[in-house]
Amino acid sequence: MSAINEKDILIFVEAVSNFFFQITQEKVEIKTAYLLEDDVPSATFDLTSYITLSGGFTGRIYFSAPHSMLTHLLLVMGEQNRSDERLLDAAGEIANTISGNARKHFGETMEISVPTSQTTKSNWLKTVVSPRSYVILVKWKHYRASVVVDIQRAEQK
Amino acid sequence: MKLLIVDDSALIRSRIARILCDKRMNDVQLLGMARNGKEAITLFTEHEPELVTMDITMPEMDGVECTEKMIEINPDCNILVVSALSDKATALKALKKGARGFLYKPFSDEDLITAFLELTSP
Repeated sequence: MSAINEKDILIFVEAVSNFFFQITQEKVEIKTAYLLEDDVPSATFDLTSYITLSGGFTGRIYFSAPHSMLTHLLLVMGEQNRSDERLLDAAGEIANTISGNARKHFGETMEISVPTSQTTKSNWLKTVVSPRSYVILVKWKHYRASVVVDIQRAEQK
Repeated sequence: MKLLIVDDSALIRSRIARILCDKRMNDVQLLGMARNGKEAITLFTEHEPELVTMDITMPEMDGVECTEKMIEINPDCNILVVSALSDKATALKALKKGARGFLYKPFSDEDLITAFLELTSP
C-alpha cells in the first residue's frame, strides 16, 4: 500500500469546488487538514455517504453534511421532494460525483462502488477512518460539510 | 421523442426528467425511469424509447453493459451517457458499445439541453 499525497488531495478539492459551483453558481470556502492529527472540529454531520474503492486503490471517500445544507441544495436544484430519503440520495450523489470526477486524475483503475448513505452521529467519522485520512472542510453560505479521503494505492502485482 | 432515464439516484432521475420534459422541450415524452441496468432493459424492451440517458455506476447491471444490450436490441437508439466517471477510458468504452454522447456530472440544465440537442438534431 502507498499513501496518497497532498497533491492528490487537490484533485478532490477541485472536484468538490466544481460540484458546488456547477450546482449553485457560487464559490465555496475550503480548508484541508489531517482528520485525526490536526485540530479539526467534528467532520461528521447528520447524513454521511461513502464510496468504497477497489482495483488499484483501497479505502473510502466520504461526504458528510447537515440536513439543512442538503435541503437547501435540493431547493437550488429545483427538487420538490425534500424527504429524508431524498436527502440521503443527494449525499450519495455528491459522494459519487466527487469520486467519479477524481478518476480523471487517478485513472480507470480506481474502481468506485455505488454509494452507501446513512444518518450519522457526531464524531462517527473519527471512529472509522485510518490515522492519515485527509479532511476537506467545505463552507457554502453558512453551512458546513466535509469530504474525508481515506484511500491508498494498492500494491502493484 | 420517447425518453427513458436510467440512473440509480432518484434525485438525478427527477432532475433529468424535469429538464428534458420541460414545456420548452415540447417533443419529449417520458416513458419511464430505471434504477439499474436490469430494470432499464425491461423498460427498453416494453416501450422502445428513442432516447436513453444512461448512468454508468449502478447496482445489478452497469451502464456500459446496459448500453451494449440496448444497442443489440435497437441499434438506432440514441444513448446519452450521463456519468461522474471523468476518465477518458470510460467514455471511450461507452462510445464503443454504441452510446452516441457523453455528459459529465455535475451538469447544469443548459449542459444537458445542449447535449440532448446535439444528439437529436438531424
